[in-house]
Amino acid sequence: MANLELILLVVLLSGVLAYLGGKIHRVIGTIITIFVSGFAFVSIAYFGFNDILDTSNGFLPLITFDVTYLGLYFGIIVTFIFFMVSFFNPYFIDKYKYPAVYSMLYLFSLAGVIGVFFTNNFMTLFFFFELVVWSSLFLIPLGKCKHAASWYYGFSAFGSFALLFAILIMSVNNNGSFEIASSLLAVDGGNRILVFILVMVAAFAKLGAFPLHIWLPKVLTNAPDPVTSVFSGGLEKLGAFMAVVGLIKILPSGFVIDVLDMHLSHYFIALLGALSIVFGTLMAIRQDDAKKLLAYSSMSNGGYILVALAIASDTSFSGALYHVLAHALASTAAFLAIGAVKRQTGTSKMSELGGVIHKMPITYLVYLIAIISMAGIPPMGGFISKWLIFQSVINEGLIIIAIATFFGSIGSFLYVFRPLAALFLGQEIPEIKNIIKEAPLVMQIPLITLSLLNIFTGVYPRDILLFINKVAVELGINPLEVSTWYVKGNNGYLNPALISGIFGVGVFVSYIIFIVLKKSKKVTLMDTYTAGNFVYTEELLHYSVDFYAPLERLYEKYIDIMKNFYNSLANKVKEFGNFVKYFFFTNKPEVTVFWIIVVILYLLWGEIV
Amino acid sequence: MINVLIGLGVALFGFVLQTAIGGINRKIIARLQKRRGPKWYQEFIDIFKLLSKRAISHGWIFDFGVIMALGGIIATAMFMPVTNNIVAFGEYDNFFIFVYLIAVGMLGMAMSASGSGNPLASIGVMRALTTMLAYEVPFMIVVLTIINLTGTSSVGEIALFQQMAGNNWFMIALPIGFIVAVLSLMGMLGKKPFETYIAPAEIASGPMVEYGGKQLGMLFIMHEITIFIEVSLFVHLFLGGAPNLAIFLVKYFSVYTFVNLISNVNGRFKIDQVVLFFYKWPLLLAVIQAVMAIYLKWVI
Repeated sequence: MANLELILLVVLLSGVLAYLGGKIHRVIGTIITIFVSGFAFVSIAYFGFNDILDTSNGFLPLITFDVTYLGLYFGIIVTFIFFMVSFFNPYFIDKYKYPAVYSMLYLFSLAGVIGVFFTNNFMTLFFFFELVVWSSLFLIPLGKCKHAASWYYGFSAFGSFALLFAILIMSVNNNGSFEIASSLLAVDGGNRILVFILVMVAAFAKLGAFPLHIWLPKVLTNAPDPVTSVFSGGLEKLGAFMAVVGLIKILPSGFVIDVLDMHLSHYFIALLGALSIVFGTLMAIRQDDAKKLLAYSSMSNGGYILVALAIASDTSFSGALYHVLAHALASTAAFLAIGAVKRQTGTSKMSELGGVIHKMPITYLVYLIAIISMAGIPPMGGFISKWLIFQSVINEGLIIIAIATFFGSIGSFLYVFRPLAALFLGQEIPEIKNIIKEAPLVMQIPLITLSLLNIFTGVYPRDILLFINKVAVELGINPLEVSTWYVKGNNGYLNPALISGIFGVGVFVSYIIFIVLKKSKKVTLMDTYTAGNFVYTEELLHYSVDFYAPLERLYEKYIDIMKNFYNSLANKVKEFGNFVKYFFFTNKPEVTVFWIIVVILYLLWGEIV
Repeated sequence: MINVLIGLGVALFGFVLQTAIGGINRKIIARLQKRRGPKWYQEFIDIFKLLSKRAISHGWIFDFGVIMALGGIIATAMFMPVTNNIVAFGEYDNFFIFVYLIAVGMLGMAMSASGSGNPLASIGVMRALTTMLAYEVPFMIVVLTIINLTGTSSVGEIALFQQMAGNNWFMIALPIGFIVAVLSLMGMLGKKPFETYIAPAEIASGPMVEYGGKQLGMLFIMHEITIFIEVSLFVHLFLGGAPNLAIFLVKYFSVYTFVNLISNVNGRFKIDQVVLFFYKWPLLLAVIQAVMAIYLKWVI
């Protein structure tokens, strides 16, 4: 038996303990984060799977808990990501100015996540939502970029206020009660549409989807490496959770597009998701910083989740939730691999690196498996979710959305290959050749675990899909037909284990051909065909800057549109502020007093006259 | 187990078939240009010569990539139906397997090429991936139309659907989509004007520049099987598949020769022209075809 409240309290108090421990020695705090996040994951996963999580509350006032399959699914994934990433904490802690605070905030955001997924009260949900925002807000500038934190705060605040507004509207309709289940039923008509829009704003802001995506690449590039992984694999998924609440649970009864058999509101969300996919893909292709590239890929994958949830059929819902898992595992692994490279070499810029594979082969394999999953290639987890999403897009005949999903899927081959070619492969750059070595053993634990899970989710998805079916039934969606070996989509069967097996057979045959033929002679990397020129420097033989230059040239005029829009919006807000200041807060106090009286009179008009 | 053997047989058949037809096509093109041309089995000779030679290796990833490339392509070919009856894994010949499992092979080759440390190889890979981004999307939209109409994404069942009385081949039923598919097929096969990523005169054969001996031989085998997969996918999707082997051979030969003939009177696009081309007309035509077929139900 495990009490959710106790788990939460343990995490919160250990946060304080980690702070005190971190004061003694900075590594102590990080070791506490490993054990506590591991404890949280193991207890939630073990007792959650066996349906014996206790929801009674005895210590914390006003906070009530409830276990839903939806919350459990997200809770297990996100706590697992926190657990995996925590292994990296001890190795990155000496780079921060406030190491003790780091460990504390890391656990506080974990506590916030647990609170969001396991509460049955909207006010509690909002409280924990803010706990996540505030603790992660102070984690970001530890990477020494305050600018990113302010962007994050701006967009998060926008999302949070939208969520708060939605909660208050629902609560008014529900006679002042904040209980989630009854509140969602209470709103109807125009209010339901308004609540839907507001919740979706919160979801978009958290997920970093178009048009609220500006913060995502900034934060994911500039935050410390472990925090980046947590954001991409874990905290972003709060947005997916809110999107499920908005798109599946609220489901406003609006105008239905006949030819597509789809709500207009949902089609609009799917369209925005499609834009996120295209925009994220195009931006990811042109990045030089590997972390920023993966950040844009997170945005694009968030778009897939939105598209799939907006279609809201049985295959697409399973596809969306499976994609949440597959992307969490793959992107965390990729970010951690890049983080490991960054720790060893001091940079994640692809133009400065090359040939890292010769010194860090395990990190390379981890990254390879992660990107295979991200690009949706079998035999990894990403293939299953993308297959399910494609099935539903095709079945509904959504042509415009299909263009975006196909474009994103092929485009992901392009961008995930870039770090592979420029950073891991190619010539060994002499500056880093002699200083780097493979990541330490403790850092390899999460890397290897995540890789194995990436493969497992692609080979044997049955149990996970069955669990997703429970979530689907809970939300009133038809479950997917899953047998031991195959998955049934709208228009065909998929047998992941067979595909993996046949791939194994193919590689085996190919290996036999390779091994029976004559052995090759080993030559160095510099011993290459250069068309008769004599080149003696590695950098000149390493093609990594502006990799997709011809493609980038086609759209580089248009990349700053959204950024310019937000900058001009910021200027407009500033101008408005100056205007207000000019009229209302002048140097003469009597003017200010006059306006205050006017406002009070306006507010109290009905009472006085 | 027997299915695995059938699958391996299909892969071997594909290799032999495409290598032979490739040789015959070299002869045809030569006659077109008033040359005599090589013997029809010249490509076999080339491949076996390469396999028997001693080669160089640029490290483990160079070799590993080649193994992964050939392995991925063999695995993809094993799912390919040849006729209605010759198919290794009946209901699992899903269209998306061909699109994505083939990508494992491509990734392996790209990885190996980049691992050689030659910048020309990296440029070739870049061009290949960019070309892929161009031709794949219009093709997928056409296939979306087909899957939406037939209600199945199994390649074999799509072929059977076209063989049923009352249904035309999709080549006739979706004429605009067929044009798009031919253009995409030319991109897939790397035929002119879309052969920018090989471009022997510019970047010394691109991805292949560092290979020799058995690695190059294995990549040739891989290349032949890839063409087999792409052309027979086309035969099944648009030309109604094949009830028996003879019809399959005729259809296969006509498609490949047709595409090859068109390509030989073309020049070469620059890489950005390839992208602009595919996102202008083929994509527009594919969308028009999809709207006509799915929403308006105009299918011949």
